[in-house]
Amino acid sequence: MANGSDSLGVEQRPIRGGSVQESELPVGIALPGRVERSQSPLAIGVRRLAKSTTALVGAGIVVALVMVALFADVIAPHSPVVSDQTRTFATPSWDHPLGTDQLGRDMLSRIIHGSRISLAVGVSSVILALVLGVPLGMVAGYYGGRVDSVIMRLMDLILAFPIYLLAIILMIIFTPTAGLIGTIKVVGAIAIVRIPIYARLVRGSVLSIKEKEYIEACRAVGVRDPLILLRHVLPNCLAPIIVTTTLGIATSIIVEATLSFLGLGTQPPTPSWGWDLKANVSFIQANAWLSLFPGLAIFVTVLGFNLFGDGLRDALDPRLK
Amino acid sequence: MRTYILRRLLQIVPTVLMITLVVFLMMQSIPGDPVVALLGDAYTQEDAEKVRQTYGLDKPVIVQYLIWLGKLVQGDWGRSILTGRAVLDDVWVRLPVTLELIIVSMFVALAIALPAAIIGALRQNTWADYTATSAAMIGVSIPEFFIGVLLLLVFSIGMGGLLPSSGWVYLPGTCPLMVCGTSFWGNMQHVLMPAFALGVGRAAILTRLLRASMLEVIRTEYVTTARAKGLGERPVVFKHALKNALIPTVTVMGLQVGFLIGGAIVVETLFAMPGLGTFGIDAIIARDYQQVQGFALITALAFVFINLIVDLTYTFLDPRIRYA
Repeated sequence: MANGSDSLGVEQRPIRGGSVQESELPVGIALPGRVERSQSPLAIGVRRLAKSTTALVGAGIVVALVMVALFADVIAPHSPVVSDQTRTFATPSWDHPLGTDQLGRDMLSRIIHGSRISLAVGVSSVILALVLGVPLGMVAGYYGGRVDSVIMRLMDLILAFPIYLLAIILMIIFTPTAGLIGTIKVVGAIAIVRIPIYARLVRGSVLSIKEKEYIEACRAVGVRDPLILLRHVLPNCLAPIIVTTTLGIATSIIVEATLSFLGLGTQPPTPSWGWDLKANVSFIQANAWLSLFPGLAIFVTVLGFNLFGDGLRDALDPRLK
Repeated sequence: MRTYILRRLLQIVPTVLMITLVVFLMMQSIPGDPVVALLGDAYTQEDAEKVRQTYGLDKPVIVQYLIWLGKLVQGDWGRSILTGRAVLDDVWVRLPVTLELIIVSMFVALAIALPAAIIGALRQNTWADYTATSAAMIGVSIPEFFIGVLLLLVFSIGMGGLLPSSGWVYLPGTCPLMVCGTSFWGNMQHVLMPAFALGVGRAAILTRLLRASMLEVIRTEYVTTARAKGLGERPVVFKHALKNALIPTVTVMGLQVGFLIGGAIVVETLFAMPGLGTFGIDAIIARDYQQVQGFALITALAFVFINLIVDLTYTFLDPRIRYA
């Protein structure tokens, strides 16, 4: 940075972005000829993130899981759905490192394939909620008035229900099925439940941002509203959105596992950790390991996203600490 | 204070109406013709007409909603298609179990979170703090049902049935039926594992939050003043710091109630407790939609009322709200 004391012994202030007030400039001193570009908060955040052990451990877990999900077909030693009636409830061995379940299906392969449902539902439900919730929040906060009250009352309606209950009600309406369609239904149910979180978060940020002078300046020079929202408002509320999204994936994965556990998630034979845990609890007395592994898989996944999200929050928005 | 409570009570009326509307729409959108459900596949056109008239199915949806709402208010929540019993009766029988589970788990959560957060905040960046924060991180990442499975493995299977893995014994005085097993110790044995399974996750969230707000509060000037005037550490922590640090915690506890109710459904299913959760899930599996409706209604209403209680607790902690 081009700051520090000059030959006159007067401290020069660093210039950031262009928001510096004239009155803050030291009197009688020429501005330095070369001013380095100020760093964006995002760049500073990324640098802080790289130094955070928590975030790195979390990122490591998440990357490893994504790899497992992507290459499940290659990594899994057996098919997750083909049953072998001659080898039911096999204890862990070289051939079946985590044993087999009541239908003789390889547990390790089921857990490897189950990562797909967990990650797919966790990530896509949050992205869907984000895509719907962020514009709603921006419009409500920016325009205010009647638009604001209609949108926010709608959000209150969703929030009037405990999230699990609403997810359950939605799944009753959608009727749970197997395969891709079944997964999409779960994604939809979880996304609807999460929309108000984004709408409220973004609305709050927009309410304070829209009073800022640079927004007023945009309006004064005739920039149209959609462009103001997209180019000037949105980038300034990105930090809390990113943090909420990462931590939201963790919550969504738990909600998905819970729905599956209750029998309302993606239906079998599609492998799902919550369903496997539930199915194996009945045999817990004799085969404890069977319900342990799906539970551990959920735990490690959620822990990964939580650690990464925590690190992100500390790096991007220290005020939220 | 009285006006505040009154205003707060009035505010929940539209929320309750919205909840009933959503539940009504849920019932409307469930696939399948109610006429077929009542008469079976073989019926004449006249029979169908008659059924539609008797149940008001020929009227506009909004009229149907108002009729339905009127019945709800009068305590007619419909009858179970399977058992023929009034849904509201079943709900009253199940409610005490779920309420006890939620209340005990809240105590468990507080009993873990309060000491963990206070120690974490007062001894920031020591091994005690690291232990508390790491344990809290693990706690927020484990779903309730997995904690339940671990508890089952240790206390029911590992320790030779030290705690019962399923079933329920009512607290003396809470038995809603003519006959039921009541015993204080029996009840404690049955509620302990489910309440822990449900409470640990909440404890973790409360610990993280309370620790953060304690850290903020103990750096404020009034705490320094309290220390400077010679107050002992105990009154400084409990009377000055904790009470103020609790305010954001109570808000979050209110928000956590939603998770507690949802978690209760899961934990009850795992431990086969005769609460509202198992009632709802069994009804969903059996497609007994009258029961499902009762379950959804009571759960959502309980959520609203528990939130109301949390809000009123808030005014006790922070007098500024009362007079605002």
